[in-house]
Amino acid sequence: MVAKPTVQEINSLEQLLKLTAVAAAAIAALIIIWYLVKRPPLGRLTKVLLLFGLGVMPIGVALTGNVSGFEYTLKREFCSSCHVMLPYTEDAADPRSNSLAAIHSRNATFGGESCYTCHADYALFGAMTTKLNGLKHLYYYITEYASSGPYGEKGPRIHLYKPFKNGSCTRCHSTTAPNWLAREEHAGMIEDLRKGDAGCIDCHGGAQVHPRSFNHGGNGRAPTASAAGEKKE
Amino acid sequence: MIGLSKITVRRLVNVSAVLTLVALGLMVAGLFWPSPLLLVLAMSLGQLFGTSSLALYLLAIALDLQGVGEDEALGGGDRPQS
Repeated sequence: MVAKPTVQEINSLEQLLKLTAVAAAAIAALIIIWYLVKRPPLGRLTKVLLLFGLGVMPIGVALTGNVSGFEYTLKREFCSSCHVMLPYTEDAADPRSNSLAAIHSRNATFGGESCYTCHADYALFGAMTTKLNGLKHLYYYITEYASSGPYGEKGPRIHLYKPFKNGSCTRCHSTTAPNWLAREEHAGMIEDLRKGDAGCIDCHGGAQVHPRSFNHGGNGRAPTASAAGEKKE
Repeated sequence: MIGLSKITVRRLVNVSAVLTLVALGLMVAGLFWPSPLLLVLAMSLGQLFGTSSLALYLLAIALDLQGVGEDEALGGGDRPQS
């Protein structure tokens, strides 16, 4: 029988940053508490220590904490922390689901961050605009979805702020692979797809991507939990 | 003037210390319980408090260098000195 390790291993940049932030916060807190309890004279040593406790260490916490927090917001786990996202994230995490979201979420390279990977903007400031939209999500979540039922069924229907761009798909599906071009439908509209006159989601959207979404005819739950006879698109 | 002479260096440092503790609490809470609301609070209020507290501390040091509140600051705060 193998003994369980008592110290958790650090497996990612996020964990390393988190550990650094916690260590810096602990050092800062110790210095501050020492100052508040002992009330030493504000001599040179105290001032330098306080500069560390009130300046250097907290700045370190802010920097590493920000990056760590940003890294965490990329994860599907973070998206699923809002109940209104459960129809999307539970399906994405379901190994039995054949939806496009679930298939992409099983990809070992980016599956854990599949929401962000497919829905982030890809412009120069794409990450920034995506995160600003995230703040908008939070505002709507608090103002409109707080008491909207376990899957958000009583709230307004969730929709994208702007049309889904082909670039989000063609970033990986380059439209140049022989297998992709071999599909008659793809070959016939390749120029329109590249120009954006035709959308990938015109054929691959809706219930194919997020079958449990209320917008696409789902009821939020897995098919086995669906009400009998519920109509799906 | 807002009566700088009444603001002692030590008081400024004390306020700065408490603000920093609040800021650290928010930022660390954001790390351990990364819910959307807490993360936003940590990255906004937490850093606002942290920046304000550093600014207050630097102000305290600047005042101290100019001799404002010198007696209290160098003499160990509100404890009577022997």
